[in-house]
Amino acid sequence: MLKSKTFVKKTRAGGVLKIVREHYLRDDICCGSEVCKERKDEAPVLQEDACIESNLCSYPHYLIPDTNVVLHQIDILEDPLIRNVIILQTVLQEVRHRSAPAYKRIKDAIHEKEKHFYTFTNEHHRETFIEREPGESANDRNDRAIRVAAKWYADHLAKKTNGGSLKVVLLTDDRANKEKAEQYGLIVYRCEEYIKSLIGNPELVDRLALQPDDQNEITDSKLLFPEHLPLSRIQSGIKNGVLLQGTFHANRDNYLEGTVFINREGEDINEVLLQGLQNLNRAVHQDVVAVELFPKERWVAPSSVVLQDDSPNDEDAEEDETENKLCSCRTHYSNNVLYPTGRVVGIIKRNWRPYCGMLSQSMIKEVTGFNYKVNKVFFLHKKQTNIYIHVKKLRHPIKFHGVLYQDFNAYNLLLIFSQRIDMVPELLSSNLCSLRSNVERLAFSCIWEMNHNAEIIKTHFTKSVINSKASLTYAEAQMRIDDTTMNDDITKSLRGLNRLAKILKGRRTEKGALTLSSPEVRFHMDSETHDPIDLQTKELKETNSMVEEFMLLANISVAQKIYDEFSECALLRKHPSPPPSNYDILIKAAKSRLDSAKALADSLNNATVENFPYFNTLLRILATRCMMQAVYFCSGMDSDFHHYGLASPIYTHFTSPIRRYADIIVHRLLAVAINADSTYPELMDKHKQSSLCNNLNYRHKMAQYAQRASVAFHTQLFFKNKGIINEEGFILFVRKNAIIILIPKFGMEGAVFFDNKDKPSPRLIFDSEGPTLKVEQHTFRMFDKVKVTISLDASNIQHQRIRMALIEPVIPGVSVPVPESEPEAKKPKLDC
Amino acid sequence: MAAVQVSEAEKVYIMHGVRDDLRLDGRGCEDYRHMEIETDVVSNTDGSAKISLGHTDVLVGVKAEIGKPKAMVPDEGYLEFFVDCSANATPEFEGRGGEELGVELSNTLYKVFNNRQSVDLRSLCICPGENCWVLYVDVLLLQCDGNLFDAISIAIKAALFNTRIPKVHISEDEEGVKEIELSDDPYDCMRLNVENVPCIVTLCKIGHRHVVDATLQEKACSVASLLISVTHRGTVTCVRKMGGGSLDPESIFEMTEAGKRVGKALHAPLMELLQKEESLGKKRQKVGFLG
Repeated sequence: MLKSKTFVKKTRAGGVLKIVREHYLRDDICCGSEVCKERKDEAPVLQEDACIESNLCSYPHYLIPDTNVVLHQIDILEDPLIRNVIILQTVLQEVRHRSAPAYKRIKDAIHEKEKHFYTFTNEHHRETFIEREPGESANDRNDRAIRVAAKWYADHLAKKTNGGSLKVVLLTDDRANKEKAEQYGLIVYRCEEYIKSLIGNPELVDRLALQPDDQNEITDSKLLFPEHLPLSRIQSGIKNGVLLQGTFHANRDNYLEGTVFINREGEDINEVLLQGLQNLNRAVHQDVVAVELFPKERWVAPSSVVLQDDSPNDEDAEEDETENKLCSCRTHYSNNVLYPTGRVVGIIKRNWRPYCGMLSQSMIKEVTGFNYKVNKVFFLHKKQTNIYIHVKKLRHPIKFHGVLYQDFNAYNLLLIFSQRIDMVPELLSSNLCSLRSNVERLAFSCIWEMNHNAEIIKTHFTKSVINSKASLTYAEAQMRIDDTTMNDDITKSLRGLNRLAKILKGRRTEKGALTLSSPEVRFHMDSETHDPIDLQTKELKETNSMVEEFMLLANISVAQKIYDEFSECALLRKHPSPPPSNYDILIKAAKSRLDSAKALADSLNNATVENFPYFNTLLRILATRCMMQAVYFCSGMDSDFHHYGLASPIYTHFTSPIRRYADIIVHRLLAVAINADSTYPELMDKHKQSSLCNNLNYRHKMAQYAQRASVAFHTQLFFKNKGIINEEGFILFVRKNAIIILIPKFGMEGAVFFDNKDKPSPRLIFDSEGPTLKVEQHTFRMFDKVKVTISLDASNIQHQRIRMALIEPVIPGVSVPVPESEPEAKKPKLDC
Repeated sequence: MAAVQVSEAEKVYIMHGVRDDLRLDGRGCEDYRHMEIETDVVSNTDGSAKISLGHTDVLVGVKAEIGKPKAMVPDEGYLEFFVDCSANATPEFEGRGGEELGVELSNTLYKVFNNRQSVDLRSLCICPGENCWVLYVDVLLLQCDGNLFDAISIAIKAALFNTRIPKVHISEDEEGVKEIELSDDPYDCMRLNVENVPCIVTLCKIGHRHVVDATLQEKACSVASLLISVTHRGTVTCVRKMGGGSLDPESIFEMTEAGKRVGKALHAPLMELLQKEESLGKKRQKVGFLG
């Protein structure tokens, strides 16, 4: 019998097509049961004694699952205990349409002989084929087809067994379908009901997939994020200029903010600020995204609000609150500092990489806070304590170009908190490349002939063999210099070097080299547990400075040499002058004018305040924050070589080849320059050199982040053991809702927040020109001295953090009483 | 058109018969031959009808496609006609013989049907200025036995009645990009209102009188004929004179009156028939081309 199936379809061109298919119905389709003796061209699949111990169906029966049961309870159906199942063609087609994995699994089950699964082509059976009726949805039609087929089976089996006990059981979780099937005279159970009735095999219940109840289905369909646009729309949008394409960079301090750098040329906007989770729209750091600009009225200045990813006690409220914060800070910025803002409408290319994380109770929140990058490998750049007196003589570079270095092609010595991972094998780095006393070592030397005024008469580079007379630590060397009773050759030469170094330093400072400050913290570790016992800021000795001075000189000399030799492909290091706007905060703080590094250095030197010895350091810390990042670059690709911080016209890194890959490249270049080695193509390719520089810079930055994170982590460990500490500190920055406080003793920073979720915020008046923040009656200025209590907040296991709360000045309702420094004491509820 | 050789004597016989209101097959001057209509005969179309009027056999298929509205009437859809004069119908159509007639027929049909008085063209509009339904009306002549226009017009009316256009929705996203969405229910479709669709009545002047639904022999006796399209209310929407002979105004008036009368009488039973057929629904045993 021939039927035709008609349906309409939309064509790709946008037209509508009516499609008519022929559909043949047959009456010779076998039911697949052993009881049916008709047509035995195929072996029957379904067994006659299809028994399973059940307190609902005590008779032998075949199961007919509906589509949803197959889709959701495939685990059950796959179980070897479940046998004699009739899979209808309707069900199979729907499963195939909706889930390829489920389709594959059910197909596998059907092919397994032991399972006795039978596919009944009910759609082609004359008695079970039904046509869709007017007003019937496709799903309803399929449900009806399933019922009709089940009914046919029931009648057919009854006929074949002469009213025997063999029955069919329809399994469905759809209540409406179940009711209709019952009216239709079918035996029908919910899947759960049936499986639970299998008293002989209670273990099956464990395989049941949890079904959302019809009543309490997840109705919370709140759209968390605006949908991303399809790629075609993004492309057309970029083409006609509605959308901009750029690389997304998450803000490191504020998880609700990010920046998209537009990398298209000829675009007058090259930076778009994104604020709020909705506008960030699931972009992850370094994704290539499409952004839509907001109209000018919505352009803002980056917020000076410090946002921490707080424990999500009330997502929505917090979200609103932070949004409000963002809104409120728009108003008080004058128009000339506005940044274009926008929102992410689509992600063109994901920056996939491994992440690590924890699942918290609320999945969604965790995902949204996911903006920070997590990198697998860090490089840490730390001064080593052992020091070589023969500054001029540098170690021989380990000479293999091939495999080993290519693997690094990057950077190198990994040192995270007293656990170091060497860039080169240990034997090389700590023995063969170390100049030990009275041992011959291969080295790469830079030899100057200097007069007494430390003016270089001649510079000579050579490979050398060095037998060092003594190896001293900084402290030892310092002791010798200071000890007037010692007058041996070594000590004398040390003093000579120190004198020269002082002249060099003086000259350098003259030119405007900066001595900037960042508080370096060192931990005293417990040798057993590796827990930090105490921490202190690093103290610099004269010998440090002496060694540093000659190292700088070596670097500068080498830079000049390799640049003279290879003007196109020398690997150099530069430090760009910061744009004047970077000084804003410093100017505001110091109320001074600065236009050159020299001016900065001078004014920094002069800026001292009586009774406030730390003021100068504070200023230097601030000045450091204003600086640009020093970067490696290839001389052929750039024209500005100036090193701002060192006030040197040219600079490179040469002195530490065992821990910096850049130095190795410089060593190779220098070796070629002095005819001690041959070159290779990659070394002379300025594009390859340039991309190497970029990678070095990137790794370096990551290393710094890792270092900071490591320090922060150990600071936390430290405070965890200490309990609550009261300490003096200085205000480093004043923000709209918080003050950032530097604790000189620990070299750490922290924020004291004034707005509070739990209680009404105190009256806050923020003046961005000062900048000052007036809290109730008290006005906070930069560099004000305050007293805070420091403790570790471990309430959120994932987000343990140091909390600071104000003790002095005392502001009622804001500051906290001086807590007793009992480590075991329950922490008072602190402002956050 | 198919020529039939009629001798002078036969002509006189026919003319005398017409004069006495008695035609060769026993009809009166304003009687149609036996007519059979069946709709939904071609499943690939959106609407179809087959008519046999005497030995004239015509198949009409309507296909709805999405197109762009004409610039002058951006809020209307339109109809397109194509008449295929199959060589099966008559030997004259062999080769390119039927082409001229086909073009003439389709032009006339376009004039008669493609206006908003006949068909509610506005209902064919999907999105003004952007998309509309275009109804491609394909007429296939299967057999010619005179009075093609009348047969075709009735078949078109029946086919339009049978036409089911899938319902579409215009969805618009925030950027104003419109997309046409198709309803997934095949029964969810739009019907055309064919109430005002006219039928063509062709009157042939034979002697001093005129006849409707002329056979080929009668046609051979006629020098001129008048084609009148009439709606169910008896309104004349189009009049066209065919053939080489002349017609005096007096007889034109008479013929128009007769056409109105006949046309008006034609619509009511036609609609009744179509509705009756539809009420049979899916259970109707189709006759098709073998009936």
